[in-house]
Amino acid sequence: MFTIRRRNFILGSSALVALGTGPKVSAQAAASMTPHEKELYDAAKKEGELTWYTAHSDDITSQALGRSFESLYPGIKVNVLRTTAQVAYQRITQEIKASAIQCDVLSSTDLGHSVELKAKGAFEKYIPENSSKVLDIYKGYDPDGYYFVTSAGLIGIGYNTAKVKEADAPKNWTDLLDPRWNNNIALGHPGFSGYVGTWALTLRNQYGWDFFEKLAKNNPRVGRSINDTVTMLNAGESAVAGSGPAATLLESVRKGNPLAMVYPTDGSVLIIAPSSIMKGCKHPNAARLFMEFLMSPGASQIWVDHFTESIRPEVPASKIAKPAKDLKIIRPTVAEITKGVPEVIKQWRETFGA
Amino acid sequence: MTDKSLDDRALHFSGVASRLRRLDASILLWLALIAVLAFLVLNPILRLIISSLQETDTGHFTFANYRVAYGNIRHLQALVNSLELGIGVALLATLFAVPIAWAISRTDMPGKAFVRLMVFAAFVTPPYLGAIGWILLAGPNSGWLNKVWMALTGAEHGIFNIYSMTGLILVVAVTSFPYTFVFTSSALDLVSSEMEDAANILGARTLRTTLRITLPLVTPAIIGGIIISFLEAIALFGAPALIALPARFNVVSTQLWQFFEYPVRVEEAAAYAMPLLAITVLMFWLQRSLLGRKGYTSVTGKGGERRMIALGPWRWVMLGYALFVCALSVFLPMVVLLQAAFAKAWGRGFSLDNLTFHNFYYLLVEQTQAKQTILNTFVYSAVTAFAAISLTLAIAYVVSRKLVPWSNVLAFLCVAPFVVPGIVLAIGFYAAYASPPLALYGTATILILGFTTRFLPIAYTSSAAGLRSINPEMEEAVRILGGGRLLAIRKVLIPLLKKSLAGAWILVFIPATRELSAAIFLVGPNTRVISVMLFDLSEEGNFEVLSALGVILLIATVAIAAIGSKMIGRDFMLRRD
Repeated sequence: MFTIRRRNFILGSSALVALGTGPKVSAQAAASMTPHEKELYDAAKKEGELTWYTAHSDDITSQALGRSFESLYPGIKVNVLRTTAQVAYQRITQEIKASAIQCDVLSSTDLGHSVELKAKGAFEKYIPENSSKVLDIYKGYDPDGYYFVTSAGLIGIGYNTAKVKEADAPKNWTDLLDPRWNNNIALGHPGFSGYVGTWALTLRNQYGWDFFEKLAKNNPRVGRSINDTVTMLNAGESAVAGSGPAATLLESVRKGNPLAMVYPTDGSVLIIAPSSIMKGCKHPNAARLFMEFLMSPGASQIWVDHFTESIRPEVPASKIAKPAKDLKIIRPTVAEITKGVPEVIKQWRETFGA
Repeated sequence: MTDKSLDDRALHFSGVASRLRRLDASILLWLALIAVLAFLVLNPILRLIISSLQETDTGHFTFANYRVAYGNIRHLQALVNSLELGIGVALLATLFAVPIAWAISRTDMPGKAFVRLMVFAAFVTPPYLGAIGWILLAGPNSGWLNKVWMALTGAEHGIFNIYSMTGLILVVAVTSFPYTFVFTSSALDLVSSEMEDAANILGARTLRTTLRITLPLVTPAIIGGIIISFLEAIALFGAPALIALPARFNVVSTQLWQFFEYPVRVEEAAAYAMPLLAITVLMFWLQRSLLGRKGYTSVTGKGGERRMIALGPWRWVMLGYALFVCALSVFLPMVVLLQAAFAKAWGRGFSLDNLTFHNFYYLLVEQTQAKQTILNTFVYSAVTAFAAISLTLAIAYVVSRKLVPWSNVLAFLCVAPFVVPGIVLAIGFYAAYASPPLALYGTATILILGFTTRFLPIAYTSSAAGLRSINPEMEEAVRILGGGRLLAIRKVLIPLLKKSLAGAWILVFIPATRELSAAIFLVGPNTRVISVMLFDLSEEGNFEVLSALGVILLIATVAIAAIGSKMIGRDFMLRRD
């Protein structure tokens, strides 16, 4: 017999993955781990923890995902750091510049960041077994295996039902330009939020930048994260969330806040949110296991519980949130995002002043 | 060659030799201290200046960074906005601080101890926490003050809008006026009543005497306060990020932050930071040359009698004003922060069914990062305070006892970080020490080093002041009796200095617990501190949890400061004796 060394172990498991010979995952309960998963788990336990930078969701959902991973894989701690996509990107690039990678798994909401970081060689290649089992529309974003779609969410228009009657609420994006919403629209900032960046780009594609010039005349209140718009609705500071994140808003409705969601007739914006493993990270096996987890039915169930899209066919959408497949969807291509979001941020600052 | 000249030369030579021997040890000491200071102060600043002149990828010399940094009208506008903010804050803080300082120090205003305590509370409150309080108070549609206004008058809209330059100036001024207060009141404590008496005898009334005699005498202190609050305001990052962004304007610090977005441009950031550095240096030069011209010799020592001016009914007016300032800076923000910290949704107001402890539960149980973050904050701040005090005490000793030549260089380097805004210092530290060979990125070390540098000036000023109060004769007695210098330091100096060192420790500790701008570029995921976590949480506008974390920070800070004050038996910053 030979003793299995850690290095052999890692090599073995990666080889297994590269060949794509992992057995089929059916139910992702802790009791029924696949051999591949078990291997990763054993290796990851030695690492003991991982650091997850995420912009995928609000802090509450992110913490729920972290805790779920910890209970599925005892002995591995998840350090959850929720920020906006631009802030996460900023910290990552600082780490790369200093050659001191602190982050293991990066979950962004800006596909452009993934394209850019992949080109720089900042990502570790790893093709999760689960990546072949997600819904077709989320497959194959990076055939080379450096980033994978691990979450998706919708942006529509939110409003405070105590301030706005259903009949009066905006029905489509251009309704936001109505002067009656003067001083009463909440927006996120594309310079921070990946969701807002893609949203602004989508609407620029749809209506031209002119749309935002007009929107600025309504003097919206610009925060940072897209989730801030929901806070502003709850506080009564704004009546309408111009960039309304469906998941955070519906979560807030569940808490008893008087809010409602409008899926605009000219199309809801679908955000495709990718994750990657950082090259040179300190906990590579835990990171791989976490990537598998993010694309597992278990994680999708948590997403759905918090009103985000399911990325797995086995997990049905929640009864409250409308799934993307039942809606008119608008979204830009990856190439448009990579080129367009930095442009939009610049234009935004010119138009809105900060 | 005569014998005599030989003798002379021998004598001369032995003199030089013994001098060299003596210098040897002290030169080593000098070199060691210089090396530490060069590491902490000189190198980061130099690195910043150098990288502002380098091309991003090649490192070639270029002015392009300056062209890009200043070739944009919005970047220039941000600079103008910062100046406006700084001047506004300096003036408003003076307006808040000077009357209160005068009333406490020179008059029979009632409730002095309470007012002094509130000024201390304002000092402990970090500006970004004050900003959050004021967002809850004066948000244009949802702020409490506006709601009250609308309820009282039936108006459609509120009258206050915190998301404006005026709003930002107010928020920063209410948290920075304690600086001006401390400066002014300690100077006023030293002015004797004799000159005021002279004015009175010549027929001047209280107001005239105060304006023409008392306040002019403490002008240097007031100017010092103005300069400090100006510099604080232009270097601040947290409060502008919370208020200026929704108000849709930028200031220098928020603009600097943008250089770190995709794609990161450290070199442009460095170039853009240079005017901030230049302005600060200029301000100090201005202060010196302004004050250099006039004699203020009446503020010399404690001689002379001091009597409190009897204000009559006006003392209630003064108290009213003091309480008004305290309301703006402490009562109002604290009430709404506490409400939010214990609320399910702060917008729902003050009712029992809105009351919850869940925000604290979430932070201390569900959110795995928060506990570590709270612990980090206090450990780093404590270590920072120890490091800064030990280093500056050593330097102050060397300087005051003139153990080495050019000791003033050491003193200068110690106070130099004062002219470097926190965010600029952090960028310099990042440029100098984040990458290999030191590779300090994400470590506690880089944060503690950064904090130590940031607070060296406070520590040095306190250590030097403490040392000045001790007559060297006592050490000399030890040495005459055969004890070495170290013995003298250990057995005489340290015990004598214990109280003032504890005071200095608290003076460094408190600002370190709330430091955001130096931390924001130096933290890693495992070394986060409360200020940075508050900043991250504020992105989502999660005010309930934010407020709860702020409350934890304040309670812990005040508790530690209270224990410290108890130990040293006085309120260490607000009174001279």
